[in-house]
Amino acid sequence: MFYIVMTALFALAIYVLMYTLDPYAPDYQDRLSSPGVMVWPDTYEDEKVVIAYNASNKKSWMKMVNSIRTLIQPYNDTLQEHYNPHNCTAEKYFLQNSFNGPNHTKWACAFYQSTLGDCSGIDDPTFGYTTSQPCVIIKMNRIIGFLPNNGTGLAPRLICTVLEGSENVNGFEYHPYNGTYDLSYYPYYGKLAQPTYVNPLVAVKFNLIRQKTAQIECRVVAENIAYENYYDPFEGKVLFNLTSMS
Amino acid sequence: MSKMNSYDMFVEMDKMDGEIDVKIKKKKVKKKEKLESMKKEMDIDDHEITIDELELKYTTSVTKGLTSTVAQQALERYGPNELKPPKGTPEYVKFARQLAGGLQCLMWVAAVICFIAFGIECASDDLASYDNLYLAIVLITVVVVTGCFGYYQEFKSTNIIASFKNLVPQQALVIRDGQKNEINANMLVVGDLVEIKGGDRVPADIRIITAQGCKVDNSSLTGESEPQTKSPECTHENPLETRNIAFFSTTCLEGVATGVVISTGDRTIIGRIASLASGVGNEKTPIAIEIEHFVDIIAGLAIFFGFTFFVVAMFIGYAFLEAMIFFMAIVVAYVPEGLLATVTVCLSLTAKRLARKNCVVKNLEAVETLGSTSVICSDKTGTLTQNRMTVAHLWFDNMIHAADTTEDQSGQSFDQSSETWRALARVASLCNRAIFKPNQEMVPVPKRMVVGDASETALLKFTELTIGNIIEYRARFNKICEVPFNSTNKFQLSIHELEDPLDLRYMLVMKGAPERILERCSTILIKGQELPLDEQWKEAFQTAYMDLGGLGERVLGFCHLYLNEKEFARGYKYDTDEMNFPTSGLCFAGLISMIDPPRATVPDAVMRCRTAGIRVVMVTGDHPITARAIAANVGIISEGSETVEDIAARLRIPVEQVKKSEARACVINGGQLKDMSSEELDEALMNHPEMVFARTSPQQKLIIVESCQRLGSIVAVTGDGVNDSPALKKADIGIAMGISGSDAAKNAADMILLDDNFASIVTGVEQGRLIFDNLKKSIAYTLTKNIPELTPYLIYITVSIPLPLGCITILFIELATDIFPSVSLAYEKAESDIMHLKPRNPRRDRLVNESLAVYSYFQIGAIQSFAGFTDYFAAMAQEGWFPLMCVGLRGQWEDIRLQDLQDSYGQEWTYSQRLYQEYTCYTVFFVSIEICQIFDVLIRKTRRLSLFQQGVFSLCSTRNPSRTVSASARLRRQGHMLRRAEFHTLQSS
Repeated sequence: MFYIVMTALFALAIYVLMYTLDPYAPDYQDRLSSPGVMVWPDTYEDEKVVIAYNASNKKSWMKMVNSIRTLIQPYNDTLQEHYNPHNCTAEKYFLQNSFNGPNHTKWACAFYQSTLGDCSGIDDPTFGYTTSQPCVIIKMNRIIGFLPNNGTGLAPRLICTVLEGSENVNGFEYHPYNGTYDLSYYPYYGKLAQPTYVNPLVAVKFNLIRQKTAQIECRVVAENIAYENYYDPFEGKVLFNLTSMS
Repeated sequence: MSKMNSYDMFVEMDKMDGEIDVKIKKKKVKKKEKLESMKKEMDIDDHEITIDELELKYTTSVTKGLTSTVAQQALERYGPNELKPPKGTPEYVKFARQLAGGLQCLMWVAAVICFIAFGIECASDDLASYDNLYLAIVLITVVVVTGCFGYYQEFKSTNIIASFKNLVPQQALVIRDGQKNEINANMLVVGDLVEIKGGDRVPADIRIITAQGCKVDNSSLTGESEPQTKSPECTHENPLETRNIAFFSTTCLEGVATGVVISTGDRTIIGRIASLASGVGNEKTPIAIEIEHFVDIIAGLAIFFGFTFFVVAMFIGYAFLEAMIFFMAIVVAYVPEGLLATVTVCLSLTAKRLARKNCVVKNLEAVETLGSTSVICSDKTGTLTQNRMTVAHLWFDNMIHAADTTEDQSGQSFDQSSETWRALARVASLCNRAIFKPNQEMVPVPKRMVVGDASETALLKFTELTIGNIIEYRARFNKICEVPFNSTNKFQLSIHELEDPLDLRYMLVMKGAPERILERCSTILIKGQELPLDEQWKEAFQTAYMDLGGLGERVLGFCHLYLNEKEFARGYKYDTDEMNFPTSGLCFAGLISMIDPPRATVPDAVMRCRTAGIRVVMVTGDHPITARAIAANVGIISEGSETVEDIAARLRIPVEQVKKSEARACVINGGQLKDMSSEELDEALMNHPEMVFARTSPQQKLIIVESCQRLGSIVAVTGDGVNDSPALKKADIGIAMGISGSDAAKNAADMILLDDNFASIVTGVEQGRLIFDNLKKSIAYTLTKNIPELTPYLIYITVSIPLPLGCITILFIELATDIFPSVSLAYEKAESDIMHLKPRNPRRDRLVNESLAVYSYFQIGAIQSFAGFTDYFAAMAQEGWFPLMCVGLRGQWEDIRLQDLQDSYGQEWTYSQRLYQEYTCYTVFFVSIEICQIFDVLIRKTRRLSLFQQGVFSLCSTRNPSRTVSASARLRRQGHMLRRAEFHTLQSS
């Protein structure tokens, strides 16, 4: 009896809790003041991201390719056109105060796979992993209501630097070309309001010297994106080792 | 009869010796021979052989003593004449014992499990968490730190006790090579010729060769309060009874004697009793038993829970190793880490409180033992009584008057206006050879040192107190001659000039055995009038004499005579050998009776023990009549209680026909006790609530204690003499007297009353009961949080939610925040008059029983768990993780390689962000437990009363405000965590 009452009380408390929650946005975002950044292919050695592949070993590079493919599957151009038909104005925050989308939702901007150019996998379905010019894709985590650069209208940019072994990297290029995450994808209104939302992506195509390793840091630069959190290595930046073996 | 008893004691000791012998034989064959020879020497016949034979036996001379060389050799062969100190436990063993209690063992096991779990985690490639290692280290640290604390406490009290030991080496006057030498008593050897005089301690067991009025006090050996006369004749075949042997460590009160040392050191009678004590095992303290019982419950529950969830985990589909780690973690989580510290601190607080009241506790756990005590076996001499003969009653003017026997003369005095009293007082002061030692003017009369035998001392002090400066008084009555007391004529007389210089008469004063004095009297003084001593007065005298004798008092008769002025003119030559003066036809003045009176505080203390349901049994070596009188006096035998013999006498029927159950009181002496089987003794103890054991040997004291323990009682023994030490050791708690107690008694005891105040025992009982009650509260409080600490882990395993409460947080609760409130419960006042309750039944009233565990664990603990989870889910939900989402989330949540886990709102979290969120949850859960615990401490404050009766803020009025302090300190400490979590907590709870 005691336990029944206790359980009932517990259930009631949880019910009241759920009842008082806003379905669109959480009450607190204490842990999400700054978005995390992650790189694909997301292969790890221990706790570090290590992208090491053997271009002549299909099994080895297919692992990388599959990782990227899984990531960009929803970015398929036709899928995007179907789900996100809204025409977004580029380089502007896409602020929506009312639910104008279908089924009482908000519009989300489409992000096309093709935007990624050489790294889109359209021309080269192996994303360069059969060569020494692999693509990596950097994604920034989405946070409800997060406006990069606090609404100053400056788009967040990806900047990659080679920390170690810069002599092993001949060069790299961003796709889209300037490495920006377009402002029209911000702010995010949550799963319920924007069920079709996709994170903007930036791909980086490296030109590596074989057999050599480079340590690369890719950081999303914006005023309100922290990147020096000692306890969270994935906040605002991602650090990875890139090795291409013959 | 009494002689027989002592002989039994001797025989029993031999038996005991044999037992020890057998035990040791098994262990060490080497020692066998030594013990055999020792045993042979024990069969003392030295008192029966002639002096010549004695000289021959010990190759000594009764005039010149040993030669120095022989003595030197003997010393080397037999070792010094001192009692080997009981093999002190080495310090490291004492320390190790602190680490090996019931709770400590539990924690050791837990620490080992932690290490194993850590090892397994390390070995499997999984990313090992260091929690288990930390936990193991903390567990060990707690055990060691509390061990150090307990050790320090005991070390301190041992020091207090050690400081009481007499460090001044005892001197002995020995004759060697015909020369008198003063040497250290420990240099004495068998065969040495020694001289003792009044005031000395007898330096070894000696056969008396010559003696003059030598009397020794055997009270520390046999418990007899009366001094024993020692003389060269062998008066009894039993060495303990014969007059010509004086025993080691007894005190020579008066007279001088020379004797040959017949045994030294551990081979003396006292040495054997001491070794009897060391052969007795120590009993486990009730609190240790309780804690073991509690550990059993904990361990049982832990393994039950652990196993259940092991099975569940296996069923859910965890790997065996993983399930094993869960099992271990659950078992370890059940260990109440903070409890050990709480118990130790609570006990030492009480020990401190007791020390302030002059009870020093040697063993911390003994603090509680007194509280559970149901029987106190008390020695009489020196414990219940002052061990000092004091005038108790006077009979004059055909009336019995009671004198003031209190130690500080605070009692009522009798009517001193009668002329007879003046005459009696004069006889008592003049016919007395005792004198005060010089330079004691500042010392209160009862405490002054006196040269003289016990009864003369009593009379001297009595007269000093009633009529003033006796020395001066005696000087006014110039003593002409005197006849000292001897055993043939049994009186003492002296002849004085009168105070008034014009009155030229002499006065003869006489005291002695009352019947002998009466024989010599022809008149009696009544209200100042000399009346002829007719049958009627003789009858009155007999009645008074019987009455006083029946009180166990030693009665002396006093008479006087004004000698005829003409016949005995000034300058008459008195000849004490010829007795050329009348010694009959005297005028009877009165009777004075003396007793070793009970200490003033004892009757009240006995009374309080009785109301507290504690039975006080007297166990003494003294004579039954004295024992009974004192027992009746202090209330051990209450008014109106009758023994079987009393009933028989009243109903005029034979003793056999009396129903034993009708007699409340019972006096059993050593002789009867010897013939009783242990069943009969048990039966006697059950049938008669008021028991007095008289003429008991040390071995019999042991038997009595064992019998009480067999009946399920927790037995406290109080005593001061060497003869008490085996019983002190055997008792659940031995209480020795600090001032009068012998070292042997203090060594064997668990507790020492520094002021010899029996009433301190009552305080001890009270404190012991209080600490038991309060420990119960503390433990109940401490146990409660075990469940809310455990359930998060159980839910984590079974439902796979992110871990709500971490290991470090648990340790913080256990060892930091909750220690203070649980210790503060030790300061709780008594709820009701605990001294009016019966002692707890050790079989029924457990420290932790199932209902307390169930109430703590499954009721309060469950409430706390529910509160914790409510808050946890609220904290998660408000950050974006809905409760249903949490279920089954564990795998992804803890995946360190997943940096974009989506929450219920579609936001993406890195691993570190999730970890941070998990820490927030720890805090939330922690704060929930703490807030519940604040209310828990209020719940636990009272067990029987309502909180409002006890007063919520009684903490402010109590002497120690520790709870307020601890509560606020705790809140302050939680402050920074609170700030972080306050929204969640406040909203949901």
